[in-house]
Amino acid sequence: MSIGMQQSWLLTLIPLTSFLIVSLFGKKLPRQGDWIVVLSGSLCFLITLLIIGDFQSFFHGHGFEPVGNNIYNFDWINIPNYLLIEYSTFVDAITVVMLFVVSLVGLMVIIYSIGYMQGEQRYHWYFSLLAFFLAAMFTLITTGNLLQLYLAWEGVGLGSYLLIGFYWEKQSAAEAAKKAFITTRIGDVGLLIGIIMLWRVAGTFDIQTIIQLAQESTFSDGYLTTAMIFLFFGAVGKSAQFPLHVWLPDAMEGPTPVSALIHAATMVVAGVYLVSRMLPIYTLLPIAQNLILITGLITALLAATMGLLAQDIKKVLAYSTVSQLGYMFVALGVGSLTAAMFHLFTHAFFKALLFLGSGSVIHATHKQDISQLGGLKNKMPITFVTFSIGALSLAGIPPLSGFWSKDEILLYTSEFGAIFYGLLLFAALLTAIYSTRLVILTFFGTPKDQEANDHAHESPKLMSVPLLILAFFATVSGFFIFPFVGNLVGFDSGFSGIVYLDHPHDFHIELSTMLVAISVSLLGVLIGYLYWLNADGRRAENAKEWAPEVRNLLLNNYYFDNFYQAIINKFILGLASIIAWFDDQVVNRSGIDGSAQIINYIGFRLKFLQTGKIPNYVLMMALGIILFSFIMVVNY
Amino acid sequence: MIALENFLILSTILFSIGFFGVLSRKNAILILISVELMLAAVGINFVAFASFFDTSQLSGHIFTLFVIAIAAAEVGLALGIIIRLFRDRNSVNIDEANDLKW
Repeated sequence: MSIGMQQSWLLTLIPLTSFLIVSLFGKKLPRQGDWIVVLSGSLCFLITLLIIGDFQSFFHGHGFEPVGNNIYNFDWINIPNYLLIEYSTFVDAITVVMLFVVSLVGLMVIIYSIGYMQGEQRYHWYFSLLAFFLAAMFTLITTGNLLQLYLAWEGVGLGSYLLIGFYWEKQSAAEAAKKAFITTRIGDVGLLIGIIMLWRVAGTFDIQTIIQLAQESTFSDGYLTTAMIFLFFGAVGKSAQFPLHVWLPDAMEGPTPVSALIHAATMVVAGVYLVSRMLPIYTLLPIAQNLILITGLITALLAATMGLLAQDIKKVLAYSTVSQLGYMFVALGVGSLTAAMFHLFTHAFFKALLFLGSGSVIHATHKQDISQLGGLKNKMPITFVTFSIGALSLAGIPPLSGFWSKDEILLYTSEFGAIFYGLLLFAALLTAIYSTRLVILTFFGTPKDQEANDHAHESPKLMSVPLLILAFFATVSGFFIFPFVGNLVGFDSGFSGIVYLDHPHDFHIELSTMLVAISVSLLGVLIGYLYWLNADGRRAENAKEWAPEVRNLLLNNYYFDNFYQAIINKFILGLASIIAWFDDQVVNRSGIDGSAQIINYIGFRLKFLQTGKIPNYVLMMALGIILFSFIMVVNY
Repeated sequence: MIALENFLILSTILFSIGFFGVLSRKNAILILISVELMLAAVGINFVAFASFFDTSQLSGHIFTLFVIAIAAAEVGLALGIIIRLFRDRNSVNIDEANDLKW
């Protein structure tokens, strides 16, 4: 049997098996079983390549004609005429892009983790969780129906929760894990409502059928808009969009490779994936689509400003992830599946690279605060070079990958409306500034903490090789937009001819927007250089006094956390105390204890019937017989 | 021929006397005798009905024979219990045998 698109269920099965083996027997296995997870990660990557090969064979010039070969399903729960739940997998262009990202970044992170987590306690548990997460993530991206998607959606949420809280002895990590799980759960409720609403009318969970029904206007417009907005709310939670973005920066409490895998490249883009998958429906609903656009725009701007002043190397990256996810939603909001998926594709590589690079820095110095770092560029040359490639790619400097994908988004947005374009350009400027600041404060200048700097050293090969591989992809993945590069790897067209919504469009260089984008990026890098590197960063020091209110606002992340905490304290805990009172007084004391007391009392009274005197019993018996005879006579 | 009613009246009187005895006597042996009276009343009923309505098969007579046989077995059992009771407490007054209560 050859492995192709129909065998994509293997991608769920293999990591899940290794999760079971390593979590149950990991302690007894040599090397605590990390090699099993590495093996399953490599196998998944291999299978992904085979699936891509199979995908190619159904790919004719512009377009992909599957004729059922990309679907695999069996009945999972079947109640005839009422409910049919299938296990199904579905592979198309979106899936293939996601598969490549998840399996490559997943494998890199697993290999990197061997070096990074060396000697940590619960080593086998960490690796088994990575495998569990990958199993859920692969299920999420290969699923063909919404219910299975929901299952996998919760699965990745659980994996994220357990990995953020991996150092659960630390109070802050335990709380961050809880926060991440509960915040995303709020969105998940919306997702579930949306799925149920779609199912009620369509009678099926199958995504392609639902899309077809929506295009045939089976749903009323208002109903469909409501359902799809609920669905989008799930994406907002998972992809950390405004107003549910608060969990992602805190999620940085987890081990750094986890941040690279889950909170940069894979799980957080699940929301983008969901909306991309449903985009044929969203394009029918202007209200829902505008909501996506505005949410993405607000998030891109807010997060970029927050990243500007963050002190923790990982939090800067977290805010930038939130901001870049906002970009992807903007692209989806203007209806460009190509731009969104392309940015997802390139962003996964350079952001995973940045996270792994920051992990390398943290590993070497045991410091995360960028005001404590500095001067590492000669100590850690590989990390420095790869991290800079990632940062410049994030900033949008050509010819690195981030430039090409961001340019696609900017191009489509400029066609959509000038104000959106302007705001997005401003966010791009901020992105360039904070990524430059991050590199300068970490690697340039004089070390702030000489002792930590003295002990710093380049990371072992297990960590630097994944960095180099990801740096390679962060550099070249952007070229995939060119048709001739697509041709090199076996497609007749570039990215825009593979992943598209209704009809493919050919990539062309729009010189004006490209020049604007390049100049904005360069301006951002220049500002970063002038403020933080030139004259020993004195300008940045002086800038602190410019507008203390704004500075405070940014340092406190627009008081979102305080606001939510206030809501939780006043409203939710108040409501909870009422429910607790009801539970204690009504349910427990009256309902459960009360009924028991009544029975107890009745029993106490009635027990005196048991006199022990035989004539009494006989009398009762006789009375009973007389009563029943009487009833029989009357009824006769 | 004596009418059916007369047999029924006899058996009712006999049953009532027996029932009254069960309720009012304190002595266990007397209660047992009263129970026998009630069984005899039932037997009269069976035979009377069978003689009047089931002359071919006589199933009532056969039933009565069974009742008498079972009553004999029951008396054997009950007397055994009463003897144990008497050995235990030197009396067959059932008012004193009231340990099984609340």
